Amino acid sequence: MKKAILLTLVLAVVAMMAVAATPIKIGAVVPLGDITGDQAAKAMRLAVAEINAAGGLLGRPVELIVIDDELKPEKGAAAIEKLATVDKVDFFVGGMGSSVHLAQIPVMKRYQKITIWIGAASYLCENAVGPDADWYFHLHPWDYQQGASYGLGWTELAEAYPEIRTDRIFLAYEEGGFGTASHESYVALQRLAQQGEGAWAAIMNDYMGVSFKSAALGGGDYRAMLQQAKTYNPDLFIWAGYDADALPMLQQAKEVGFAPEFFVGAPPGWPAHFGDSPLAEGVTLYGMWAPTINKVSPAAEHFYNAYIEMFKEEPATYFAPLGYTNIYFLAEGIKAAGTIDKAPLINALEKVEYASPIGEVLKIAPSNVIKHQGFTAQKILQWQGGEQQVIWPLELKTADPTFPFPSWEGR
Amino acid sequence: MESISFWKKYKNILFLILLIVAVAIWKPHAAIYGLQRGSLYALAGLPLSLTLGIVGIMNLSHGDFLSLGIYIVYMFSVNTGMDPLVSILPVFILLFLLGAGVYKLTITKVLKAGHLNQLLLTFGISMILLEVMNLIWTSRPRSVYVDYASSSVTVAGVRFGTYEFLYVVFAIAVLIGLQLFLKKTRLGQASFAVGQNPRGAKIVGINTSFVYLIVFGISVAILGIAAGVMVPRFAIFPSVGSSYTMKSFCLVAMAGLGNLTGILISGIALGVGEAIVQSIPGYAGWSDIVFFGVLIAVIMIRSIRRPSL
Amino acid sequence: MKIAKPLLILIVLAAAVLLPIVTEAYFISIAITILTFMTLALSWDMMLRTGQLSFGTAGFFGLGGYTGIIAAADFGVDPVIGIMLGGLVAGGIALILGMAILRLRGLYFAITTMALASVFMVIIRNLHRLTGGPSGKIVYNTLFNYDSNKVYWFMLAIAVGTVVISELFQRTRIHFAIDSIRADETVAKSHGVNIYKYLIFVFVVTSIIQGVIGATYALQYGFVYPESSFSPHYLLLPIAMALVGGIYSTIGPILGAIILGLSSEYLKLIMPYGHLVIYGVIIVVVVLFMPDGVYGAIKAFFMNRKRRLEER
Repeated sequence: MKKAILLTLVLAVVAMMAVAATPIKIGAVVPLGDITGDQAAKAMRLAVAEINAAGGLLGRPVELIVIDDELKPEKGAAAIEKLATVDKVDFFVGGMGSSVHLAQIPVMKRYQKITIWIGAASYLCENAVGPDADWYFHLHPWDYQQGASYGLGWTELAEAYPEIRTDRIFLAYEEGGFGTASHESYVALQRLAQQGEGAWAAIMNDYMGVSFKSAALGGGDYRAMLQQAKTYNPDLFIWAGYDADALPMLQQAKEVGFAPEFFVGAPPGWPAHFGDSPLAEGVTLYGMWAPTINKVSPAAEHFYNAYIEMFKEEPATYFAPLGYTNIYFLAEGIKAAGTIDKAPLINALEKVEYASPIGEVLKIAPSNVIKHQGFTAQKILQWQGGEQQVIWPLELKTADPTFPFPSWEGR
Repeated sequence: MESISFWKKYKNILFLILLIVAVAIWKPHAAIYGLQRGSLYALAGLPLSLTLGIVGIMNLSHGDFLSLGIYIVYMFSVNTGMDPLVSILPVFILLFLLGAGVYKLTITKVLKAGHLNQLLLTFGISMILLEVMNLIWTSRPRSVYVDYASSSVTVAGVRFGTYEFLYVVFAIAVLIGLQLFLKKTRLGQASFAVGQNPRGAKIVGINTSFVYLIVFGISVAILGIAAGVMVPRFAIFPSVGSSYTMKSFCLVAMAGLGNLTGILISGIALGVGEAIVQSIPGYAGWSDIVFFGVLIAVIMIRSIRRPSL
Repeated sequence: MKIAKPLLILIVLAAAVLLPIVTEAYFISIAITILTFMTLALSWDMMLRTGQLSFGTAGFFGLGGYTGIIAAADFGVDPVIGIMLGGLVAGGIALILGMAILRLRGLYFAITTMALASVFMVIIRNLHRLTGGPSGKIVYNTLFNYDSNKVYWFMLAIAVGTVVISELFQRTRIHFAIDSIRADETVAKSHGVNIYKYLIFVFVVTSIIQGVIGATYALQYGFVYPESSFSPHYLLLPIAMALVGGIYSTIGPILGAIILGLSSEYLKLIMPYGHLVIYGVIIVVVVLFMPDGVYGAIKAFFMNRKRRLEER
């Protein structure tokens, strides 16, 4: 009897497979050797598994092909070529490094498949894509958008908590492309602010930027920079570097005796167990997502639990929910369009409103150059009791900000 | 006669001390930071000088052994709660065994094949180490927190960190230890002889392959010391040690082959130079130029003095 | 036998030229990358034949790339001209620096060339207005508008040109000069070989090649970025390829580039995680079991067989 049931099941599955149409193929290119790319790819696989479990898209199963770009531009470009010509995918997704993406853009332009990208924040990428690429959707905020969104954030925070002041801003930026782009955008924003314009108009008076060599690139001595910051005595101290800089910089700040009102970090990810360090308490950070968003967003909670169940590890960077969003955004568009033909699908994607696990609803709008930009803002969060709490946007708030930054004494 | 040789021997050290004092008066922080970080460069550079000088191996996996040592210290701390500085001892032994094992399995087979094959071999080893660490621990940084690593004191109105003086202490201690080993122990004397003239050493009956094994093992083990003192102050990630390969090569080139004291002097000189540039507002981005500029200048000056370099 | 060799070369060349007709764009892009690294490996080996170990490959590669992009972006020069300028600038800088540093030998020369590559990068990263600084620089008119077949043929032409130069070095008078330098400098001097002049000549030629390749790479994708244009990747990989294939020859670096280029791509596809470990293992195994590289091993194999046949 059991055998018979099994046989019928197997037969049914085979029959279904034969009936089912060819799969919709999504090709992803990410750096698998890096935690950002690895977790983004896993989250994409999770999304695809969920979609297929629910019957696929347009009655067709979805197939995800992931290729490692090894953080090398020519490998990233070759990966796009392979997805286009060998795997014959319908869509490109993926992300991370700006230099890898710059090498991919000419290849993508040749194929002009619908592309949804979750990394590469450099404005140069936007310029390279150009205004005519209507097939190109970019979900991660551009570097200049981030600077503007924080201006909005601090303005709203200063309104909600009148004691918060952000008059004097000191930016410590890593000397590579990532940090320098932040510095350049702050310089531009301050120029605007002095003319009474832009997101920082009412709240930034004075600005100073000093570069440092990131630990990730063989540096890691921040003390000369911190001395300058201490002399400058800012209200808001922001550092734009990598996860490897987070704890050593705090240690050295303690050593130097530098404790500004707000100690803000803006790396793309945080080290493992950062919250357990006594130095972490009260550190403010810029990011797109944190596990505490589960409290205010059902989409985030669902994603978080499903991810842990599937991979037995915690999503550690915001690229995980962003990768999940990447697939679902495309799926929503396909469902709305009822087809994967390019023109109607682009139309449908322009109208998609997807409640993402990032917290916000994802909607497409033009940015400086391209027509299809997704998220424009990051969030302002704070490490409190070992967890990242959202302090802005206020509607997603999970805790009130602690300030001034607790003194170094006793930790 | 004796005073002249004394002057010759300690000329460089005296210059260095004068340099540090002068910088300390001008920019006290630059002098302290430079001394501390420069000593760390030297601590990581000493073992490379040893392998290059005695075994004659261009070890491109130098920095990756350092990273591995750092991860082993981390594992000791996570699993047994051992203080990183205490774990130096077991890590030293473990890395010695590892270094000797790698030597026995691979490097001994390319000793006769020439520098370039050794370069390629160690490049391959470097790649394997780096990627295995990435597979085990991922690229996400880890850390070990100890409260004493960020303590500081204020002397004459200048506040500075105390922990990193351990770099200075350990660099000097390792240097003295190596000097004693090379001059006072039989094995060390044999190593020194092998480094000076391998063929001659073999003729007088020194077991060169054993000497190489020990020296390579010790070199990797010293990286364990560097790892132990680095862990409290560094983020731990797979390529954390990578930059020390090139830095160490630069120190060896600047000091000259076989000159261990020169490594310490060069390391500190470069560290102070870097720190000075970093302390000038707006010019931090040029600090690498100091490192490489000084290096090139020293090599060029030496080549003029001794054209057969 | 005498006809066989030119015939073989002709067949290989024809196959290489016709490759885009029989295969798809993916393989062509892999082939372009292999040609890029092959030419770098060959140029490094050409310098090595003089006894000078250069670590400056990535430096001249990056300089060429920046020159090409700046010429195309700021002066509106055609990419092909930009590539020539890339070679000229790299060669010019190599000439000036070479006069100073080619008196150094061994490790000292190697470290100095490596340090110079880092100095180039720091200078370029700090000249914001000209080079775009740390963010890099892009150009809209890429080489042949990213027509990968045309890029491929262009790269193939450069690679063949480099092979010809390499063979000329092996066969002409330069060869004797170079060989005698490598074998024994004092002997070379006593035979009246002007070592210094030859070294500078070879250094400039190989740097021009590296500059041209760097500019081609940069203009093909239309961007430069300090960390990636001067990446040690463009130094270490060509060296690994030359050594795996077999140094002091033209065929060795070619073989090495093909073997490592194809295997890295293939490994990545069958093994998304950890493929670089296997890649490292391949390198270690080759060094341990084929100390003269793949080409050396093949040569030895045929020599042995010939000897055995003769003995029989």
